[in-house]
Amino acid sequence: MKLILTIAWRNILRHKGKSLVIGVILFTGAFLMTVGNGVISGMAAGIEKNIINGFMGDIVLISDAQKSDNILLNMMGSSIEPITTYKKIKEILDAQPYVRRFLPVGKNLAMLLDENSATPGYAYLLGVDFEQYRKMFPDNFKVIEGGYPAPGRRALLVPTFARDEFYNFYNIWFLPEGGTVIKANLKKEALADIKSLVVSTSVIMMGMTSGINTSTDIRFPVRGIIKYGALNQIFGHFCLVDIESYRECLGYFTAADMAAQVPKEEKKLLELDGSSLDAMFGGTDMMVSDSSKAPRTIRTDKTAAKTAEDGVYNAVFIKLNYGVAYKDALARLNRALSDGKTKTRAVPWNKASGPMGGMALIIKSALFLFVMLLFCVAVIIIVNTLTMSALERASELGMMRAIGAHKTFIAGMFLGETAILSAVFGGGGIIAGIAAVRFIPLLRITTANDMLQLLYGGSFFNPLLSLSDIGLTALQLAVVTIIAALYPMRVAVQITPLDAISRD
Amino acid sequence: MNIIEIKELKKDYPLGNTIVPALRGVDLAVAEGDFISIIGPSGSGKTTLLNVIGCIDFATSGSVKVGGREITALDDRQITAIRLNKIGFIFQTFNLIPVLNVIENIEFPLLLMKKSAAEARKRAEKLVEEVGLKEFTAHRPAELSGGQRQRVAIARALVTNPDIVLADEPTANLDSVTGASILELMRRMNELEKTTFIFSTHDANVLKYARRIVKIKDGGIEREPVAA
Repeated sequence: MKLILTIAWRNILRHKGKSLVIGVILFTGAFLMTVGNGVISGMAAGIEKNIINGFMGDIVLISDAQKSDNILLNMMGSSIEPITTYKKIKEILDAQPYVRRFLPVGKNLAMLLDENSATPGYAYLLGVDFEQYRKMFPDNFKVIEGGYPAPGRRALLVPTFARDEFYNFYNIWFLPEGGTVIKANLKKEALADIKSLVVSTSVIMMGMTSGINTSTDIRFPVRGIIKYGALNQIFGHFCLVDIESYRECLGYFTAADMAAQVPKEEKKLLELDGSSLDAMFGGTDMMVSDSSKAPRTIRTDKTAAKTAEDGVYNAVFIKLNYGVAYKDALARLNRALSDGKTKTRAVPWNKASGPMGGMALIIKSALFLFVMLLFCVAVIIIVNTLTMSALERASELGMMRAIGAHKTFIAGMFLGETAILSAVFGGGGIIAGIAAVRFIPLLRITTANDMLQLLYGGSFFNPLLSLSDIGLTALQLAVVTIIAALYPMRVAVQITPLDAISRD
Repeated sequence: MNIIEIKELKKDYPLGNTIVPALRGVDLAVAEGDFISIIGPSGSGKTTLLNVIGCIDFATSGSVKVGGREITALDDRQITAIRLNKIGFIFQTFNLIPVLNVIENIEFPLLLMKKSAAEARKRAEKLVEEVGLKEFTAHRPAELSGGQRQRVAIARALVTNPDIVLADEPTANLDSVTGASILELMRRMNELEKTTFIFSTHDANVLKYARRIVKIKDGGIEREPVAA
C-alpha cells in the first residue's frame, strides 16, 4: 500500500498539469455538491418549518367522500367534503403514540359580496379554534394591524395578500375594526389614489360548496390583518376565521345548532353526498329557505355552543412526533381510522397541499438532478483525463507488468492517484462549500417570491449543512472517485508488457 | 540441467488478412548458469523468442518450459508470478520507473514480492554497490546517463535472484565503451550470482562476451557457433 501511494503521489506531482485539471474539477464538483446539499437540506428544513410546522402538519385527515387528496389549493369551486365524525377521530388520535398534536379545521371557498360590484370575488376560509391554532402553529404569522382575537371570540383575520387582492377586485381597502389606514402597508396603487380610498372594516362572505350554497350572507367584522412568516403569496389566500362563524358561513351545523333542534331540510342536506345535485333538487321538502335577506352579522359574543367539536369540519391537521417513521405512521393511522369507522382517511401533507407540495418536490428533485449532473460531468472529464494518462503511460505500466506487477497493483496505483486527488482537492472543495454554506445566511439574501422561498427554505436564503450532509457529500465524492477511476483502471490493467515493448 | 527447454516453438502474428510467421519451429535448450547471446538481423525473431521465454508473449504452438514448468498454458496471474519470481528483464530502453530513485527502482520487484522494506532495501543496497552506483542511490532515472540507467536495470533484474535474466539488445542505445562495460558487468554478475543470462544483439562486437551463441534467421535457429 505504501509503495502504491508513494508512486501515485509522485505521479501526481510529475503530471502537475493533468493533476491540476482533475483537481480543479474535483474541487469545483465537491464545492457545488456541498452547497447543493446545503440548499436541499435548507429547503427541506424550510418546508418543514413553513409548511409542516407552520401551516398544515405532517399528515392531513380528510373525508372518505373527498375524491381528490388535494384539499388546500384545489380548483376554484370544488368543495371539500365535510367530516362529521370528529369526536371519534379525536379519540383515535389521542390514542396514537406517534401523534404530537392535531387541529381540526374547516376549509372551503367563500364568495365575497359587494353591493357595488356585480361580479363576486373569492377567498379561502380556514375555520379554526384560535387558541388551538396558536398552539399548533405558533408564530406562523404576525398581526400587522388590529389584534389577535381573544379566546373564544368570533373573528376574521385577513392576510395582507388577500387584502391586496380584495383591493384589486373591489377597490376597497379593508381595515380591522377601529383601525386606521397605515400608509406603509398600503398598496402602491392605493397610496397613489389615497384621497378617494374606500375603506371597510367588514367583509360580506357567502360560503360555497359544490353541493350546497348557503343562503346566508355573513358580514364578518375584520379583527386583524396578518402576514404569514413565509410563503405569504400562497398562505395569504387563506383568511382565518373562528370555526363557528365558518360553519355558519358554509351552512354547516354549528355547535349551537347541534344543541338545538335541527331543521328537517338542513338535516337532509347534511346527509347528502356533495355531488348529489339531482337528489338535492329532486324533492320539495329539502329546499332551503329564502335568501333574499340582508347579510347576517356574526354573533360577536363568546361562542354559545357547548363544544365546537360537536360540529362539522373539513380536515384535521396532524403533527407527528419527531423521528417517527412517516410511512409507518401514515399506514397505522389509516388502519385506526378505518377500524374506528370514521369515514376519513389520512394523506401526506404534500398530497393534501396539491401544487405547493408538488412544487416543493419538483424543486428538490431539480436540485438533486443538478447535483447528479455535476457528478456526471465531473466523472466524464476525470475519466477522459485519466484514460489519456493511462495510455500515455503505457510503456511504464507495461514495464511494471513485465517485471512482475499484478493487475491489482496497477489498478491500485490508479485508484490511489484518483483517491489522493479526490482527498486533497475534493476535501478542499467540501471545506470551501461548508464555509460558503455558513457564510451565505450572513448575507441575508431575501425574497418575497414564494417559489424562491420554497428554494430558500424561508424568506431568506438559508442553506444548512448537518454532519450527515457533509458525510453524504464525502460519500458522493468517494462514489465519483471510484466511478471515475474504474474505466481508466480497466484501460491501465489491460496494457500488456508487449504493448510497452511495441511502443518502444 | 536445462533451465529452459523449447520444442517446436511457433509464433505467428496476424497482419490484416495475412499471417506473418515470426518463429517457425524453434528448438532450444539452455543450461543453468549459461551466458547466451542470440544473434541475427532485424526481424529475424530474436525479440519474439526472448518475449516468449520471458512470458511476455505467447506461443502459437509448441512447448516452452522454464525451470521445468510448461508456461504455454498458464493464466495471467501464474504468468505474472513467474515473471516476478523466476525471470529478470533488461530492456533496450532502460525502462525504469521515472518517479522512483535508483534504490527504489532496484527494490521495486522485492516489494512486489511482499518482502519487508528493510530486507528489500538491504538487498538493493548490495546490488547497487555491485553495479557501481552507490553514490547515485537517491538519483532519479532522468538524472542518470544511459549507461547508469542500464546498470540500474541490471541490478533490478538481479535483485530477486531470478533463474534467468533476459536482455533484449541491452547495448543498442549505448556507445561502444559503455556497452562493453555493461556486458562486462552482466558477465561478472553471471559468474557472481550464477544466474542464466540470455541476451539478444545484432552487434558482432559483443559476441566475444557470450559463452554460447545462438544464431537466428527467418524465425528459425540456423546454427550454433561455439563461442570463446
